Amino acid sequence: MSKLGVFDIAVRYGKVPAVNDLTLHVDEGERVFVSGPNGAGKSSLLKAISGAAATSHGRIELDGDLLTGRPPEAIARLGISMVPEGRDIFGSLTVEENLRVGTGLRRDAEAVEEDIAEIYANFPILGERRAAAAGALSGGQQQMLAIGRALMTNPKLIMVDEPSLGLAPKIVDQVYDTLCTLQEDRGLTLLIVEQSSLRAARVGGRMVLMRGGRIVGEGNAADMVDRDALAAAYFGQSPEKTETAT
Amino acid sequence: MRSQHATNRLASYSTPLILAVLLVGLVVLVAVFGDRSLARTAAETLVRVTLVVSLWIFVGNSGVISFGHAGYMAIGAYCSAWLTLKPQSKALFLPDLPEWLMQAQWHVLPAAIAGGLLAAFIALLSGAAILRLSGIAASIATFAFLAIVNTVYSNWEGVTGATSSVVGLPRYVDHWVALGWAVAAIVAANVYANSASGLALRATREDEVAARASGINMYRHRLLSLVISGFFTGVSGALLGHSIGVLNPDSFYLGITFISLAMLVIGGIGSLSGAVVGVLLLSVLIELLVRAEQGISINETQLALPSGSQEILIGIAMIVVLIVRPNGLTAGKEFKLKPQWLRQSRLVGAKSTN
Amino acid sequence: MSNLAQLFFDAASLGGLYAMAALGIALIFGVMKLVNFAHGEYIAFCVFALIVPSTDAVAVMFLGKAPALILIPVILGLGAAIAVASEYVVFRHLRKADPVAMMIASFALGFVIRNALLATYGGRPKAVSLWPGLNTPVDIAGASVPLLQLIVILSTLLVVTGLALLLKKSRIGLEMRAAAENFTMARLLGVRANRVITGAFALSGALAAAVALIMVTQTGVADVRMGGQIMLVAFIATVLGGLGSLPGAVAAGFLVGIVSVVLQAWLPLEARPFRDAFLYTLVIVCLLVRPQGLFVPASAKPRV
Ligand SMILES: Nc1ncnc2c1ncn2[C@@H]1O[C@H](COP(=O)(O)OP(=O)(O)O)[C@@H](O)[C@H]1O
Ligand SMILES: [Mg+2]
Repeated sequence: MSKLGVFDIAVRYGKVPAVNDLTLHVDEGERVFVSGPNGAGKSSLLKAISGAAATSHGRIELDGDLLTGRPPEAIARLGISMVPEGRDIFGSLTVEENLRVGTGLRRDAEAVEEDIAEIYANFPILGERRAAAAGALSGGQQQMLAIGRALMTNPKLIMVDEPSLGLAPKIVDQVYDTLCTLQEDRGLTLLIVEQSSLRAARVGGRMVLMRGGRIVGEGNAADMVDRDALAAAYFGQSPEKTETAT
Repeated sequence: MRSQHATNRLASYSTPLILAVLLVGLVVLVAVFGDRSLARTAAETLVRVTLVVSLWIFVGNSGVISFGHAGYMAIGAYCSAWLTLKPQSKALFLPDLPEWLMQAQWHVLPAAIAGGLLAAFIALLSGAAILRLSGIAASIATFAFLAIVNTVYSNWEGVTGATSSVVGLPRYVDHWVALGWAVAAIVAANVYANSASGLALRATREDEVAARASGINMYRHRLLSLVISGFFTGVSGALLGHSIGVLNPDSFYLGITFISLAMLVIGGIGSLSGAVVGVLLLSVLIELLVRAEQGISINETQLALPSGSQEILIGIAMIVVLIVRPNGLTAGKEFKLKPQWLRQSRLVGAKSTN
Repeated sequence: MSNLAQLFFDAASLGGLYAMAALGIALIFGVMKLVNFAHGEYIAFCVFALIVPSTDAVAVMFLGKAPALILIPVILGLGAAIAVASEYVVFRHLRKADPVAMMIASFALGFVIRNALLATYGGRPKAVSLWPGLNTPVDIAGASVPLLQLIVILSTLLVVTGLALLLKKSRIGLEMRAAAENFTMARLLGVRANRVITGAFALSGALAAAVALIMVTQTGVADVRMGGQIMLVAFIATVLGGLGSLPGAVAAGFLVGIVSVVLQAWLPLEARPFRDAFLYTLVIVCLLVRPQGLFVPASAKPRV
């Protein structure tokens, strides 16, 4: 049974179309990368799933529940959590308060404390700075906090928009290690926007390629890199360059 | 053969023409068929057109809501009163006026212009400070400006008569005079809106940050539009004073601020036509409601709306328009001649677009 | 010395009143970027709820007859109720509108409430004596201070610390702060928009009610206009404190109160009626120097 189902959706901002005729299925426990150039509509796809952007056509389901038309807070309750592009940390709140914002929908108070303890165990720096304003953290620390914060809603599916944005390659390695470990431990489903297909291939998983609001290719990330390289030869854009640019 | 650009430009200059024809038509109808009370209503309405069009020159182009325009009105109104009242009554009611002002007995037209100029000057001073703030903060500061003017004029006993009314202003403003100023304001508004400054300012309305980044000097354009707006607002104040013959600081406070903003919002802040349409529509509505408050008798039963329902209903109408049609009734569109009509032939026009 | 003490108590109590009003404005601005021009009318509404609806010149006590222990919670609840109701009827339908449209709508709403009050109660100010005993003076540090001033100062401290604790320690407080910073992100984490906004309006309305009770006890008058003046001061304080900053609003509220009292004491007699004009001009000059507000770091970008 497919966990997340996106059926023929369209997203537009005013008259500007961002996503068109897009259909996508993500299975339970799967790891799917969404790749493609700037403006391809990757973020818009994630926003449509999370309810942050309205769809003008089509429907989205999670385990048979219809998500389309629901407000973001209701979608969060159904088990979807999001780490947005640019992370959107609450800079004036403390690190711990950031983690606790997303616990309002949970009724298992003890498990909440355990989850927080676990996040501090995984990211000791967050534990050390739990009472500090989150805005003072470094970019990499903020990314870890955003991932931890997304976990605190106890989701089934986590969507991460460009986790490597603005981070040094070594930190990006760490971020992906963390995401993969979490996925194994908790049986999470991951939907990740990643511009670098090389990176996606290295981490491993399925990859869909978007361009102009549509899916233009789909397959195993490792196979896709070669095809992407081929496409790059035609379009004059090297995948290496995209890697270094991000 | 004209380029599309030129015909579009010409089409945008047709807006004041259409609006002026509309107003002239109304006044001629009133002059031919109406009685004196209708003529009075027409004059009041046209004074409001002058006011709301002046308000639009600033608000419509900058996107910054001003709560302070009633202040500029008061400044213009009192200035014109100082210049036109008889020296004897000034000596009696406004004893602290300086000697030259006490003796002044100007003709009404230069007095109205002087009122506008003084208001424009105060707009320059106050705007120089207020417009350094960003949108919402600037709006709040205009509200503070209104309170400053009201406080000063309500307490400056020997110069403004404080809260006791100034009476005896020459009541020269009939529907023809008001029409003249309304048309002048409309033409000025259109010329400004289509000037380089007006176009640049409207570009900033959508996105303050982006406009700032693109190097548009928003501050200077806002200030210029406020000064022009202040001039005609001051004149509209003078006209109001000389149409009712009495001045009181509280006539230039929250009530008129509310009505003029309601007219602008209901007609549509985005266009000059919206400002005029809003005034005409609400003036008709107000007239009907005033009559309804006085009571209508149907079959010997007297039906009357409770007093105050006029303001309440207009307030509700304003909220409903904001919810249902946020851009107002005209939704930012202008009355215009179609560019096609202005081209010499459609075929040529079509070619020139390519 | 006693003069100075007197000045201190005047300034602290007026500043406290202004701070409470400014908090009411800043709370709502924080969560939904609405500058609520109806706030002054919430205050007036609560004042008039004390007396029997009639256009007669003499006020007959209505809710005002109830003992304080009942009266205070009822009026606070009433203030919260009218604020929440106005959100439900008007502002909820403008959630997607820009702040300017919301601001104009609130202006219209305030005008509607004001005229409804005028129609039911008439336009003349009415004498209302609520807790007259509180105006008896007490001697402190050589100054004779009305008991009420002490109560105002204490209750301001109480309200401000209470609110700070609520925002800092409670679930709804956390959600409000998160929503004030980034509403969409908060919702993506399951924070319910309606709950946060309703909460902010309820708190804001209760603050308006507290201001109403203090003002009516101090002045002994019920007047439709009394909300408007203090709302303007509250606006100015929120801009001065940095739009959206709650601590800034409190600090600026106190500052405006202090400056106002000092002007009243030091201005020559013939200039005193113009006090507010001086005050507002001073504020505009302050904003010229620091357009982002006095209590906001210079690096912060204007939020609107
Ligand atoms: N808030 C917005 N308003 C208007 N247009 C937008 C907005 N967000 C994105 N777009 C447009 O939608 C398209 C897709 O954007 P996005 O989903 O952010 O792409 P990606 O994440 O793949 O870079 C782009 O053309 C972008 O300019
Ligand atoms: Mg993106």
